[in-house]
Parts: sequence; C-alpha cells; structure tokens
Amino acid sequence: MTTATVTKFPEKSPYQPDTAEGILRAYEAFVAEIDDQPQWLADLRKSSLKEFKRRGIPTPRLEGWKFTNIWPLVKAYGDKIGQIKVSHDNVDGVIITPLLQMLDQDWVKAALSEDMPPGQHNTENTLWHLGNIYLRNGIVIDVPANTEIKKSLELLTSAGEGAFFTDRMVIRLQKNARLTIVEDHWGKGAFWKNRLTHIVLEPGAKLTHIRIQDDSDKSVYTQTTNVHVGRDAVYDAVVLCSGAALSRNQVRVTLDDTCASCHLNSATLLRGEQLGDTTILVEHRAPHCQSNQNIRTVLDGRAHGVFQGKVHVHQPAQKTDGFQMSRALLLSEGSEMDTKPELEIYADDVKCSHGATTGQLDQEPLFYMQSRGIEEKTAKALLIQAFVAEVFENIEDEGLKTALERKVEAWLKL
Amino acid sequence: MVQIKNLHASIAGKEILKGLTLDIPDGQVHAIMGPNGSGKSTLSYVIAGREGYEVTGGEILLDGQNIMAMAPEERAAAGLFLAFQYPVEIPGVAMTMFMKTAINGIRKQRGEGEIDALDFLKLMKKKQAELGMSDEMMKRAVNVGFSGGEKKRNEVLQMAMLEPRMAVLDETDSGLDIDALKVVADGVNKLRSDKRSFLVITHYQRLLDYIKPDVVHVMAAGKIVKTGGPELALELEKTGYAEYAA
Repeated sequence: MTTATVTKFPEKSPYQPDTAEGILRAYEAFVAEIDDQPQWLADLRKSSLKEFKRRGIPTPRLEGWKFTNIWPLVKAYGDKIGQIKVSHDNVDGVIITPLLQMLDQDWVKAALSEDMPPGQHNTENTLWHLGNIYLRNGIVIDVPANTEIKKSLELLTSAGEGAFFTDRMVIRLQKNARLTIVEDHWGKGAFWKNRLTHIVLEPGAKLTHIRIQDDSDKSVYTQTTNVHVGRDAVYDAVVLCSGAALSRNQVRVTLDDTCASCHLNSATLLRGEQLGDTTILVEHRAPHCQSNQNIRTVLDGRAHGVFQGKVHVHQPAQKTDGFQMSRALLLSEGSEMDTKPELEIYADDVKCSHGATTGQLDQEPLFYMQSRGIEEKTAKALLIQAFVAEVFENIEDEGLKTALERKVEAWLKL
Repeated sequence: MVQIKNLHASIAGKEILKGLTLDIPDGQVHAIMGPNGSGKSTLSYVIAGREGYEVTGGEILLDGQNIMAMAPEERAAAGLFLAFQYPVEIPGVAMTMFMKTAINGIRKQRGEGEIDALDFLKLMKKKQAELGMSDEMMKRAVNVGFSGGEKKRNEVLQMAMLEPRMAVLDETDSGLDIDALKVVADGVNKLRSDKRSFLVITHYQRLLDYIKPDVVHVMAAGKIVKTGGPELALELEKTGYAEYAA
C-alpha cells in the first residue's frame, strides 16, 4: 500500500497590485479636469481602473512577461502624466480628426472598447487598461472607400520628459482603400511612452505600416497594436526598433474574413543595456488566410532581445498559411536572446511553420570578404545589413526602403 | 616575388605544415601537387591569413616584406589573392556591391581614393564578358544560386578585378566539368604576366594541361618533397602518390 502525500504550495499571485498605486498618483487630478466625456468612456475608464488596481504593472511572474521586467524602469513615472502629441502633414484623401471629436462614432467606440490584447494569450492587457485610465488625446485616421493614397502619411510623436505619456490612434481603411503610414519616434530624455493603436481594415484594403522607433536610450516605449483585417485585406507592417532602454512592441492581428493576410516584419538593433521585446499574436479566424512573421534581432554589448510569437488557428480557419521565423544575431558574449514561438491549431487542414535561430556572425563569409581586401569592420557591417535587409523586402516604395537601410547603416557606424 | 621560408603551422595543436620552403619568382606559375591530407589547403589558408591556424615557425615574404603579422585584408592590399576551393555564399550582399567594396577596401589601404563609379562598372563589364558572366549574375548575392562552375568563374572574375601580385588557386579544378575547366583556365592564362605569379594547388594533373606550370612541386606530410618541371606532373599521373605517402 502506498500513501500519496499531497503538498500544497501557496498560490502566488502573478500580479503586483501594489505597483498600481505609484503609477496612479496623478489620476485624481487628471480625472477631475475631464468634464466632457461620454458615459461609455467614463465607464470604460472606471472598469480599467478597477482592473489595473487589481493587477498593477505586469511582472515576470506572468507568462507573457517572463523575459521583460518593466517595473524597475517605470516606477518613477507615477507623479506626472502627459499626452503624446502626434504631428503630421496633411495628405489629400486622408481624413485626420482629433479623437475627442470622434467619440460619438460607433466604429471608434467599438475599436476603443475592445479588450486588447486579451489576457489569455501571451500578453497581459494591463498596458491597455493603463491607456484607458489616462485616455484623452489621440487621432483618428480614416481613408474613404476605393481611395488609393500614393503619398505616405508621416507621423511624428513627441513627448516631454520625466513623465508617463500615452495616446490613442484609431485607423480605418474603408473598402479597397490603400495607405502607407510611416511613424517616427525619436524622443529625447527619460520618459515612458505607452501607445495604443487600433486598426480596422475593411475588405480589400491595404495598409503598409512602418514604424521607426529610435527613442532615447533612457526611455521606456510600450506599444500595443490591435489590428482587424477584413476579407482580402492586407496588413503589411515593418518595424525598425533601435531605441529606448526598454521597448515592448505587442501586436495582435485578427484575420477576420476569408483571404485576409498580414506580414509582420521587424528588425530590432540593440546595444548597451537595452531590452527590446516583440510580442505577436496572430488570430486566424477565417479560411484561406495568410500570416507571415519575419523577425530579425541584432544584439551587441549586454543587450537583451525578446521575441514571443504565437499563431492561433481557430477551428473555422481551414487552409491557413501561417509562417513565423525569428533569427537573432549575437555580436557580443554579454548579449541575450529569448525566443518563444508558439502554434495553437484547431483546424485540420493548415500549413503552419515556425523557426527560430540564434547565432553569431559566420566566420566563413567574414574571412572570404577580408581575403578580398574588405576590412573586418566593413565586412561585419555588410553581413549585418544583409541579415536585416530581408525585413524591408516587402516595401514597394524604393525611397522608403533605402531610408530604412540607411538607418541600419547609421546604427552600425555608431 | 614570394618566398616561403621553413613554414611550420598547426591546427588545434596538430602540426600540419612541417618546414615548408618555396620560392616563386615574378611571372612564374608553380604547381603544388600532393595526396589528400598533405597540407595543401592549410598552406593556402596560412598564406591568406585565415584565423585558427597557428604559425609556429618560418615566414612568408611578399616582395621582401614579411606578411605574417598582417590581417587577411592587409595581405589582399599587399597583392595576395586566394581563389577558394569552396567559394563562400554571402546571402544578401550583391556581387557588384561586394566587388566595389573590395576594390575600395584595397584602395583605401593603399592610400588611394575610391574608384569612380562609372570606371568600376566599365571594368566589371569587361571582365565579366571575358568570363561569360551575365549582368544578371552580378545582381545576385555573392555565389548564391551559382553552379559549381559559376562559382569558380566568379573566383577568377574577382582575381581579374583585383589584379593581385600573387594568386593562390586552391583546387580550382575540383567540381568542374571539362568545359568549365577550360573557361576558368583561359581566364587564369589571360592574367599571366611577368609581374604576377601563381601558386596552383591541385590533386590532379588535368588542370595543368590548361594552366601550364613552370615548376611543379610535390607536397607530402607538410613539406615539399620533390621539385621538377612540368614533366613531374605527368609522371605523378602515372605513378600516383604512393611513394610519397607519409
């Protein structure tokens, strides 16, 4: 006869509610000044406040945050809050409106109210709650049906120093509309930027979304992007991230209808003590959809790269084509890469693949190039550029592509 | 001219070159033949300055200058060229870009300005045509998707572009059919001049039908064990390397 001994461990909550208080010190003053919000927004704010107080800042005890410890870097930012200003040129055919004037629009309300991304998948939505609590400024970008915008829309974000900043961006491309957005972030000084972006692509629409994040290496950059892709619509994203002490780029793309597709390309270049985290969730909800994730990370010094990518194929999403590839290049002994690829598949007729590699620069091509007279430093730079370049391949605008390649070149020269 | 004096080199503590001595005067083609494992490829890598080989004795002089302390790129600037047995693929780096960077790398080390973009293209076109290589190939990444023959032709193209004082051809014939071998050999022969010398490393005599050597050496167990004229290669073809086996 055997006796089983059951040891019960005390359940340790992954949440850290005590961190909420610090971040919320400015809340009372902030909310007292708001007298013009619709009831639904007041309710959303209140329920997010409750959720945030319960959870606090995400900790490495949460599965989706186990490689990224944000609290030590943001705890100083609770006393002062601010709104990120997004400046842009006017582009013919694109309707850009301050968010506050659009709160009565049902589609805007629906976008803002959608929990993003949901807690059960990889990422915690604490940053969304925090964004809701301080939701105030933002812009709404709308492109009418059947409009192809040739000129790209350039957005420049700016924030002050020493505070927590947030903003909201809601983007809609109506049926068969096409647009390219280029976001540029290069804030100076120390701050925490928490950005939230909602994107709705109606049937046949195509958005090329380029983000260049080169904020100061004293800052914290967190970005949550929630994308809905309709029938035959395409979301094409390219991220070049080389800034911030800590950045977290979390993206959820939902392929809602037949033949929707997304290409998520990202290049992260880090050195010193920087940490860069890319966390992606692609939800295949309809048949014949395609998703593609191509992630390149280059790490020098004591930099730390994180990639968590998940493809979730729901039962109706037959004939799904899902691809995911993460490749990291470690240039120094002190650098670290953590990769967590995941596939969760409930449909039986799908094609999904994923791969992840972490390695050093190959010695063979390096010696080959040197033997032709190319100095070691130049040879390394060429190899790194080639390693990253694949991420820019989808960009049709040659000027834009060259601009991104130049930025990589410039980073390598530092 | 190139002088290799009593060269000793080892990999991971194992001695491969055991006192190799060789003199190659300007304008001459020397062939080194030898059985597998005699240290032929090690010799070519040590000449080119590849990491991982420990030179424990001896020296290599190029025009009287000791090159042993030089980095591979410095040796290239001094006029050395190695045609690889297995040319390396470099995904994402286009041939033209690679070639231009190499030429400018050498020019910079020699204290010269960058090559004019138009001059470069003209030169490239001319050399390409001589080796029957298309523009399309030059747009591709270095050696990526090249056939075995194309890779070897590409080595000769690079040699033609960089105009070295001294070229080492490491088993350039390996993996080539007879037509490709002729093209490659023609390319090499065009580059022969009284200012340039060649060291042709090969296992088989066949290559030497097309690139006629002035001197043939037999290498075994890390040393030159016999030196003679072109007839030595023919003799080896008949008798094999059995008598030189370590």
